[in-house]
Amino acid sequence: MDVGLLGQYVMNGLMLGMMYALVAVGFTLFFGVMDIINFAHGDVLTVGAFAALATILGLAGIGVDSPWIQLAGATLVAVTTMAALGAVIARTLVLPLKGAPPLNTLLITLMLGTALHEGVRLFYPQGANPQRFPSLLPTDAYSFGHFTLRIDSLLVLTTGLLLIVGIHLLINRTKLGLAIRAVAQDEDTAKTMGINYTLIVLATFAIGSGLAAFAGVLHGLYYSEVNFAMGLLLGVIGFSAAIVGGLGNIYGAILGGFLFSALQTIGVLAMPFASAYKDVFAFAVVILIMAWRPTGLISEKISQRV
Amino acid sequence: MSAAETTATTATGGLAVEGVYTAYDKADVLEDVTLEAQPGKITCLLGSNGSGKTTLIRSVLGLTRPNRGRIRFDGVDLTGLPTHRIVAAGIACIPEGRQVFPKLTVEENLRLGAYQEPNPDVVARRLEKVYGTFPRLKERQAQIAGTLSGGEQAMVSIGRGLMSAPKLLIVDEPSLGLAPILVKENFNIIRRINGDGITVFLVEQNVRQTLAIADYGYVLRKGRVVAAGTPGELGRTQEVHAAYFGQGR
Repeated sequence: MDVGLLGQYVMNGLMLGMMYALVAVGFTLFFGVMDIINFAHGDVLTVGAFAALATILGLAGIGVDSPWIQLAGATLVAVTTMAALGAVIARTLVLPLKGAPPLNTLLITLMLGTALHEGVRLFYPQGANPQRFPSLLPTDAYSFGHFTLRIDSLLVLTTGLLLIVGIHLLINRTKLGLAIRAVAQDEDTAKTMGINYTLIVLATFAIGSGLAAFAGVLHGLYYSEVNFAMGLLLGVIGFSAAIVGGLGNIYGAILGGFLFSALQTIGVLAMPFASAYKDVFAFAVVILIMAWRPTGLISEKISQRV
Repeated sequence: MSAAETTATTATGGLAVEGVYTAYDKADVLEDVTLEAQPGKITCLLGSNGSGKTTLIRSVLGLTRPNRGRIRFDGVDLTGLPTHRIVAAGIACIPEGRQVFPKLTVEENLRLGAYQEPNPDVVARRLEKVYGTFPRLKERQAQIAGTLSGGEQAMVSIGRGLMSAPKLLIVDEPSLGLAPILVKENFNIIRRINGDGITVFLVEQNVRQTLAIADYGYVLRKGRVVAAGTPGELGRTQEVHAAYFGQGR
């Protein structure tokens, strides 16, 4: 195969993988501190993407034309409002259900997710139809044979990688990260250290949901389109990535995200005649991986509980 | 007399448990427990497995909320407060089974003990002090705590308990699962900690060694306090024997 074309595939794969990794990190963080799966996570991403879109249109409406300011404003609004939404979800739904069977929490988050994306569909103007997401990044491109390096892709990729490095530093180098890790390992002992448990849970949900909003903005920029159902597949992919990587392990989630996009890319490469089946191929391989390593590639929870 | 009074007023860290009832799943585990840890002293609580010792500690720490009764610390009512506020009042715990964070390093474990201390210089000083007490931990500061030996984990757990510079240290079953020589060392360390002016509330099954270092003791049986007294008095009572070897639990 042509090297340039291969480079193109790798570039696209990296972009998608980063988006999946950002979603998967949220799943794994929530599971780490609360032992729950938040099925509303993908829909929080959707709401975040629409919040960003509304901000862009609003800024354009009041005459702010600079794409950089529009993008910065949209990202800021999406990330902060979704972080707040995540904290509210934790406070009002997840924490009160702490003593309940896990299935109840699962059901509640599933219903909340449905309410969120149906809310977008019904209340966002023309929400039932896909919405065009403006291309705010410079679209300059450099061609190297079949490989076209687009500046917007490069910017998105760089930002995402910086964010992942940022998550790593936050978790491993800050006091908040230390508290999150302590709560994830042993809730009661963490409390006895003087850690405000409720605050850490809220902070974790805020971080995870803020990351999802960021992934939603990236998704909009990458596909130039958002729709009310975008979070459904992204949620399932993020969840699978977190599980494949080993639920509870942040690096596993990141690895899982890139692995999933790699599988999709391989699916397209191996079956160019049936590229629409790339998700089928990727999920099938995920199923095989789960059969081979039932606790995920990096099995965090098992090793620490022995 | 005036000297005695001065020490009595400066010593802090007095814990008072007053008529506490705590339940798990509606069944009362603790029934009307009243006891006191005098400031600056070592108070012990003896009792066999299932007597409610751990539930009492959980009640004091706010991990399990009592249904009735009060818990006071230096006169301040702590009943129903979240755990981090109880810790902020000056209570630390060395939990049963040591409970080090297995995937964190030795130093991260110790730093968590001083989680509420905002001043990094103070934290660094306390860290040096703990390393002074346990030079072994300094050698292993970057090691993952889960890979330490049982004795070393006990050091981490004790050091971590001291990192908050508590007024009251609750020690839950320090000798559980440790070799006899380490048990003896642990009791010596507890005595030293108390010598530094920290009130100690020691919960143990190991009767003889506990009574040897305690100033006062209580015996818990089936969730009730069945005996109280000085070590000399407790050593002679039937209740101590009954609590351990008596008719069932």
